[in-house]
Amino acid sequence: MLARGSIVVMEESAQPAVISTRALTKHYGSVPALTELTLEVRPGEIFGFLGPNGAGKSTMIRTLLGFLHPTRGEARVLDLDIVNESVEIRRQTGYLPGGIALYDSLTGEQVLDYLVDMQGREPRRRAELCERLELPGTVLRRKVRDYSRGMRQKVGVVQALQHDPELAILDEPTEGLDPLMQQAFYAILDDLRSAGKTVFFSSHVLSEVERLCDRVAIIRAGRLMAIHDVEDLLTRRRRRVSLRWRGAAPDPTTLPGLEDVIVDGSRIHGTLSGEVSGFVRSIASPNLEDLTIEPASLEEAFLEYYAPEPTDDATPREGNA
Amino acid sequence: MSWRLFLQTMRWFRVRLAVLVLTGIAWGAIMPVIFDAFSDAFRDMANSGAIPESMLNIGSGSLFTMPGTVTLGLQHPLALAMIGVFATGASATAVAGERAQGTLEVLLARPLSRVTLYFSILAALLLASVIVLLAILAGMIGSSAMVGLVGELDLSQMPLVVLNGFGLWAAFTTFGLAASVTFDRPGPAIGLSVAWLLLHYFLEILGSLWTDVAWTQEYSLLHHFNPGEILTGSLEPIDLVIVFAAAVVPLVYALLVFPRRDLAAPA
Repeated sequence: MLARGSIVVMEESAQPAVISTRALTKHYGSVPALTELTLEVRPGEIFGFLGPNGAGKSTMIRTLLGFLHPTRGEARVLDLDIVNESVEIRRQTGYLPGGIALYDSLTGEQVLDYLVDMQGREPRRRAELCERLELPGTVLRRKVRDYSRGMRQKVGVVQALQHDPELAILDEPTEGLDPLMQQAFYAILDDLRSAGKTVFFSSHVLSEVERLCDRVAIIRAGRLMAIHDVEDLLTRRRRRVSLRWRGAAPDPTTLPGLEDVIVDGSRIHGTLSGEVSGFVRSIASPNLEDLTIEPASLEEAFLEYYAPEPTDDATPREGNA
Repeated sequence: MSWRLFLQTMRWFRVRLAVLVLTGIAWGAIMPVIFDAFSDAFRDMANSGAIPESMLNIGSGSLFTMPGTVTLGLQHPLALAMIGVFATGASATAVAGERAQGTLEVLLARPLSRVTLYFSILAALLLASVIVLLAILAGMIGSSAMVGLVGELDLSQMPLVVLNGFGLWAAFTTFGLAASVTFDRPGPAIGLSVAWLLLHYFLEILGSLWTDVAWTQEYSLLHHFNPGEILTGSLEPIDLVIVFAAAVVPLVYALLVFPRRDLAAPA
């Protein structure tokens, strides 16, 4: 991870970015919802947009789709301008709103028929999606008003993807899905990535970002805090390490990569950054009695972004963006 | 305009529309019967001075002539309520209701501009309103024929009646839709649309009951739809101009405001 204050540098790519924003800003009256947000989403990647509630994730998505008008800045989706070409953007996009609302008086099947009809494209993937998300015909023939939240969410996922869009924009897509359906949904996104489709999804669930995303942007209070390759983030993340020795613990300064060290008799506790293998090689000793390295999680890595209040001159950090 | 959205909107309306068509036919059918049965009695009451003639009118209508009865039947609160279900109620909830439910976001996620959405919904609302108007007129003509009074109506003028009625209800429909695209919740939009209709009804009735302020009728859109006069061959072209101008103003407003509005988050 680079030091705070460094600037996001966009890589030159042969293909234009699927989503690109330049200093995108949205204010609700005098209240800033997005501030100078600049990012790019590359073709064929799953891009996570991560932030706590109220961070501006949905505002960003709704601005990209033309539901909200940017106060300043510009953005292009599929190389189309979000202000003047939003209809064409939506033609090529599948969108799942957060907490989707459906027409209660229609059946699930009627909702899907209506929406794909309005989309003007064939529902090429509907049957497969319904099968994978366990939405049989008997369920789809029931009125939406009788659906549980999870079933509505599943119909929402199907309506967003049934026409096989070039870009899927999903706002907290696993909300309301049980763990099994979440796994089925993850597999669907994996297949989309394999097919070269681009997925932009917002979430505050770190585990699914870790599981799915190629890159992740972290947003807080409408400001972009960082963009990272998830793989890189996982490699660089800090791990809690505990060691117990027979006899006195060695001098902790001889242990490479260990920080925040606490020596407690024969025990050493600390945090480890970067590769584990070098560290393990350095501590290999017959006197080492026990070693615990806590399972890696992105959560701690992200928490530091959320802890301090952003300042006006805060600039996003860069991973391998 | 999106035909798919138009057809789906008509599908949403179909039950209400069926009920209102039947109710409209029944209401229209009863008017000639009332005229046939009670017009002489009303005339006698008016001539005797027991009740002032103005009290026996509703707006520009009266029970003293068959054309006047047609006007009365179309200006009666019941007829206003029937046509107003679409022109005032459904128009006010059309966009604001979808926005409050969150379904507008799902709908506008399709390749559909807001202008297209507006015109598709407007077309469905106008068609539904005109169908109810036609049902009332059909009931009146059918019933007039049955009681032998159809000869008192110049049916060749009926297209003008429909045109004038269409203009009147288009004015209320575009007003309701303008309110609907202005507010994020249907409550204020419905309130404003109903108040607009009631204001025009009040001005019309006030002027007809109180002859000293008869001028108030000129400010009522309802006063500019007088099928009785049209059916006697005396259509005022200015009436058509007024009602259609009243329809165009909210339409232009909505087309300016709606595409520029931020879509509020669902309730």
